[in-house]
Amino acid sequence: MNDQDIEVFITSFRRYFESIKTDLKVVIEPPYIKDQEMPFLEYTGIIKIDGKAHGAVCFTANGQMLGNILDRLNEAPVNQVLICDLVGEIANTVSGNAREKFGPEFLISVPIVSTDNGGSIPFPADCRNYVIPIIWQSERAYLFVCLSDSVLA
Amino acid sequence: MKLLIVDDSSVVRRAIERDLESVGITDVDQAATGEDAVSLYSTKLHDVVTLDITMPGMDGLTCLDKIMEINPSARVLIISALRDKATAVDAIKRGASGFLCKPISPSDLREAFQLLVED
Repeated sequence: MNDQDIEVFITSFRRYFESIKTDLKVVIEPPYIKDQEMPFLEYTGIIKIDGKAHGAVCFTANGQMLGNILDRLNEAPVNQVLICDLVGEIANTVSGNAREKFGPEFLISVPIVSTDNGGSIPFPADCRNYVIPIIWQSERAYLFVCLSDSVLA
Repeated sequence: MKLLIVDDSSVVRRAIERDLESVGITDVDQAATGEDAVSLYSTKLHDVVTLDITMPGMDGLTCLDKIMEINPSARVLIISALRDKATAVDAIKRGASGFLCKPISPSDLREAFQLLVED
């Protein structure tokens, strides 16, 4: 995994947030690498990756942001079940869109949702963890991309 | 017009239902798994099916195969996050009538639905 490979995730991440009806702009800050103490928020959607690459792609956000997105999607009343569903669906959409670059051998799992600060996330030990910050409606969230180098093979 | 919406995300299912209500589709069933979708389809033979691919248990492409076995003329619109040409081509070869990549806008969905219905 290198800096060029991360571009497709940034594009997919931006595409998702721009698809939500709002006048406010999406701000994606420069990605950085962080191998310890990842900035997990209240809810995390986890997609395990297999096939052409191994590892995980995770989207983490607070309930406030997820509730705001549900509100934009005309979901009411917002509840915990819907919030967990949404955080998984965002992780799924961003991961699946990455096939645009990596092709059909980039295998994605169904979403797993964590509320335990990422304790159950299967990050491989042999790869760098990219963190992509996003700001939407004054709320911050993150996409973590932790994939083995075999993605480039 | 009977519609079956198949997706493991309830947020997505409800968004599709709301968007298509605006074009007069009110006879709607939902399924969260491929197994439930096949069961529902075999009893009601819906006019249109929207179908996700990545789902727990039976995936959407297997579900598509089973729906096409039940009714080779079934109209199935794939709505998936899997944004690669090979998967789209595979789905069309298996009998899907269309393929939309998530995230989808309401206007894209309505346009694809109208094309499917008019076909």
